Amino acid sequence: MPSEQDLSADVVIVGSGVAGSSIANELARAGISVIVLEAGPRVDRQHFVENFRNLENKPSYQGPFPAVPWARHPPNQITPNEYLHTTGPDAEAYQQVYLRMMGGTTWHWAGCAWRYLPSDFELKTRYGQGRDWALKYDDLEPFYYQAEVMMGVCGPDPSVEDLGSPRKQPYPMDALPISYAAQQFRKLIGEKTPYRVVHEPQARNTRPYDSRPTCEGHNNCMPICPIGAMYNGSYSVYHAEAAGAKFVPNAVVYRIERDSANKRVTAVHYYDPDKGSHRVTGKYFVIAAHCIETAKLMLFSADEQSPDGIANSSGHVGRNMMDHTGVQVSFISGDKALWPGRGPLETNVIDNFRDGDWRNERGAYLVHMVDDNQVDLATQLAIAKGYVGRELEEQIRYLASHTVRLFSHNEGLADPDNRLTLSKTNKDMLGIPHPEVYYKLPEYTVKSCEHTRGLFRDLIGLMHGTDEEWTPGYFPQDHPAGSTIMGTDPKDSVVDGFCRTHDHENLFIASSSVFSSVGTGNITLTVAALALRVADTLKKELAHA
Amino acid sequence: MPDVTRKILWSVLTAGTALATFSAVPARADDPSADLMARGEYIATAGDCVACHTAPGGKPFAGGLKITTPMGDVVTTNITPDPDHGIGKYTEEDFEKSLRHGIRRDGSRLYPAMPYVSYAGMTDGDVKALYTWFMHGVKPVAETPPVTSLNFPANLRITMGLWNMVATSETPETGDSATFDKLRRGKYLARALEHCGTCHTPRNIMLSEKEDSYLSGASLLGWYAPNITSSKTGGIGNWSEDNLVEYLKTGHVAGLSQAAGPMGEAVEHSTSHLTDDDLHALAAYILQVPAKDDEAEHSPREQYGKPLEEADVRSGDLTRIDKLDQMDGAQIYDANCAACHGGNGAGTADHYAPSLFHNSVVGSARPDDLIMAVLNGVDRNAGGVHVYMPAFNQSSDVERLSNAEIASVVNYVTATFGSGDHGVTAEQVEKMGKELPKTP
Amino acid sequence: MAADRPCFPTSIHRSTPNAIRLNRALRMSRRDALLGALGAAAVVTGSRQGMAATAGQDDTGVPLFMALSQRLTDRDTLDPRIGNALYAGIINAVPERRDQIQKLHDFMTGGSFASARALASAAEHQDPVFKDVIQDIMTGWYRGLADHKVVVYRSALMFDITKDAIYPKTYATGGPFYWTQTPPEVAVPTGEPALSPSKLVIEPT
Repeated sequence: MPSEQDLSADVVIVGSGVAGSSIANELARAGISVIVLEAGPRVDRQHFVENFRNLENKPSYQGPFPAVPWARHPPNQITPNEYLHTTGPDAEAYQQVYLRMMGGTTWHWAGCAWRYLPSDFELKTRYGQGRDWALKYDDLEPFYYQAEVMMGVCGPDPSVEDLGSPRKQPYPMDALPISYAAQQFRKLIGEKTPYRVVHEPQARNTRPYDSRPTCEGHNNCMPICPIGAMYNGSYSVYHAEAAGAKFVPNAVVYRIERDSANKRVTAVHYYDPDKGSHRVTGKYFVIAAHCIETAKLMLFSADEQSPDGIANSSGHVGRNMMDHTGVQVSFISGDKALWPGRGPLETNVIDNFRDGDWRNERGAYLVHMVDDNQVDLATQLAIAKGYVGRELEEQIRYLASHTVRLFSHNEGLADPDNRLTLSKTNKDMLGIPHPEVYYKLPEYTVKSCEHTRGLFRDLIGLMHGTDEEWTPGYFPQDHPAGSTIMGTDPKDSVVDGFCRTHDHENLFIASSSVFSSVGTGNITLTVAALALRVADTLKKELAHA
Repeated sequence: MPDVTRKILWSVLTAGTALATFSAVPARADDPSADLMARGEYIATAGDCVACHTAPGGKPFAGGLKITTPMGDVVTTNITPDPDHGIGKYTEEDFEKSLRHGIRRDGSRLYPAMPYVSYAGMTDGDVKALYTWFMHGVKPVAETPPVTSLNFPANLRITMGLWNMVATSETPETGDSATFDKLRRGKYLARALEHCGTCHTPRNIMLSEKEDSYLSGASLLGWYAPNITSSKTGGIGNWSEDNLVEYLKTGHVAGLSQAAGPMGEAVEHSTSHLTDDDLHALAAYILQVPAKDDEAEHSPREQYGKPLEEADVRSGDLTRIDKLDQMDGAQIYDANCAACHGGNGAGTADHYAPSLFHNSVVGSARPDDLIMAVLNGVDRNAGGVHVYMPAFNQSSDVERLSNAEIASVVNYVTATFGSGDHGVTAEQVEKMGKELPKTP
Repeated sequence: MAADRPCFPTSIHRSTPNAIRLNRALRMSRRDALLGALGAAAVVTGSRQGMAATAGQDDTGVPLFMALSQRLTDRDTLDPRIGNALYAGIINAVPERRDQIQKLHDFMTGGSFASARALASAAEHQDPVFKDVIQDIMTGWYRGLADHKVVVYRSALMFDITKDAIYPKTYATGGPFYWTQTPPEVAVPTGEPALSPSKLVIEPT
């Protein structure tokens, strides 16, 4: 075992989520020495399962994960927030949540594993909006597949249901059999509208896969799958550790040190929870610390050499914050009982609005029918309406079986004014500032949301819905992106097409923070594919070194 | 196996085959009859050759599985028809000698991890069919697995010759095995092919099966192959023939038991592929094996327990993400087991996850199999259903329970749904955790 | 910036949850002491000595609470363990509830109410505070909550009355793909509410 002074590896990775741990796994398997520094602690599924059951406010999916004080994460989506301070006209629409702990935020995701569409990478070229990526869909296709195999993604046969992202291989697992509620929704959309409902590709086991069991439909992908049927980053952590990668929990990186020419990163420094400081050296460095924390770290590392922060000669670190800010409605269907909440949470989407010529003026979107257990909400509602006893029970059954919830992912757009900065007033116990984000929903996204509302009204009509409850304004989808944006021009972007920073040749970023556009599908699979591509680059370069 | 295949197989078997004559030269690549091949494949399945002669993740029949024995580790050999690495140079006579007498082509003795004392009971016709299938139906693999290294004196293969002098072999059956009546066929399947006794019969000091204790239960690789004699208290005397057929076909009978570990593999690779008639024959034979009461089990193990009808009154308190303290047995159960086995222990409605009460494994006075199932999980793909319970050992991706946590939850489960708290300790779990059932 | 100091145990590289547990047991770190002093957010250590301890079995209010609960749920049997814990939570949250429950019980026994609805409706008419008491009792039994804490989760009555169709999250024991089957139909309810409506405030997530 190395002594304290020699914390050093070929590759030093900051962050143990899906991006950091999958890079660590790939590199360790190739015999490359890796250290992963994770700000949060090691964790254990069983305690989260119990925390969920002990949680009063069950829909709060940050709830079962009370943070450690040296690596805080947002406790909830409430504005004003105790940790992530959002400002601006649409502050509430950017109240993201994420987890700082071993394995990262995929401990609570719904497992939706979308590939982006080829057009998502060429938004500027095709539609004159936003930005192009510095890579094309085809560059990422093999890594998409590698990520699907790593996570265990189930999805439809492309010859039956083409999701628009060309595939060279079938999904690793067959598509998930869909719930009765989803079957009815699918039928209705297919018969009564020009649109379609498709199987959502999901990192969820439809058979035993990678030593984990088949999904049993606990309907609790968020906040915690109780049986491990859904992928999360902790599996890649375990696999990487088995391959020899070293993970250091409770290591809060606060400084990125460079050589005198400011060309190469030489070390990162971290605090332990007692604020003891440690230096870790390496040949290559990867920041894989989530869109918000990555930008925060790079800004906080500002020093005399780089007064605006690391890799920030463009001034774009922390800018271009995007999300799939969406709209949501729930209502009581007047048709047959659906009993949503049997099976996984999110399995079916309307995908007709993921792409089209209209993207030259309004953003794309996709629509989820959320298959979420409504019993608790129905009970709250029935009690509030004044029911007791037998009549209360009757109401609960009716409301729980007839409530429909729809929400959308609407395409954000890179706008440099939507910007993350370091809080001047709020600091954590280590003296590191909290993140602050200014957010104004781009007009492009506003128009998209308007279109979605129109569709939702049509659907409510089709389902003879009553008692519609629209979530006020817009709501965050926790898919932050853009804070270290990718581009070909070092003057207006932070990383190149290989996620290497323009400013520092041995510094890579593996995060949704590099996204140049955000598309409509959930971001995780693309994050994983980009990360695996970073691992591929590092393997090649280290082999030549 | 699809029903169609099963029917074809059965028609082959009932049609019968001519009595075999041993040829002295290795089989040539000419086309053997389809009937003979199908029969050979069926015999290989019933004999479950693949279980031992394939390493986890390895090529079929290429060997390499490490079998832990009290004398050391035995590594199984390549029995594909590759001439250099496998048995490609074996004549039918060579094949018969090793299969029924434990003598290799080079004259040395096989270790009795190979159940040749059981296979000795095979008919000549079935040996011929098996040989034909191995030579023509199995893909040659040019790999040699690592060699076996046993402790003295067993490392001397000559010792095995002495062992063979005291070990009792089955007497070869004669005639066409396909024409046997039900009980004779059942005995043939149980003794000569499925070699049930290899695991379920205790062994004497010379490690040979004790005939007077046939199928009365024995330990193996951490698992306990239970007493399956007709004893009503210690065995499976309360099972019907249909129960046992269902068990062998699917690996599970609601309210009785389920197969995991080595028995799960036997069901997956062998018994689930037998014809219904063979399963009934096998079951009928097993169920008439003389009752042998059990020294530990004094009450039918499948009859213990009932649903736990207790409200989940909670603290309502949350723990911080880094708080990893050990919970008590009831909480460990709730957090790790109840999602599938239910708060009341009843399992899933479709029995995919079995009920924990009225379950032989939980009701047993020996907690071995429950500990092993928690440590290593269950992986059984039979009867069209792939049952999978994740492992909870230290290499689990789902949840890594400590030995103390496993001991605690096992004691909770047996106390709540079975025959009582058996006082399992962390040390016991640790020891069993080292008995990895299968490592290459 | 703190001076670099080599104090962090290198064994952290190999730390596993179990090793951490052991380390915890063996040493009380400065961090733990610090956190103890800070009161470390609003996180409580997970002991089971919850609210149930605050109301003893012999609390004279419990039988009244149980009798009221049976009437207000239109049920003959309710689990006394849950009742104890709910009662403790309710009076812990609002100490006046002890008297109010007593009074509501007196009101119930002083009249003749054939249903939950009859009692609730008359009680609110008698004293508007009874509406709050009744809704606490409904929230307790049906949602399993009292004093903003979970008293029971899977055993809450809302799951009992829907168990033919759906499982509580994390306790889905239908086996893989059970969700493809057709759930039971539910008729449009005809019953009337007993109490005046309240505004439903959904807790933010």
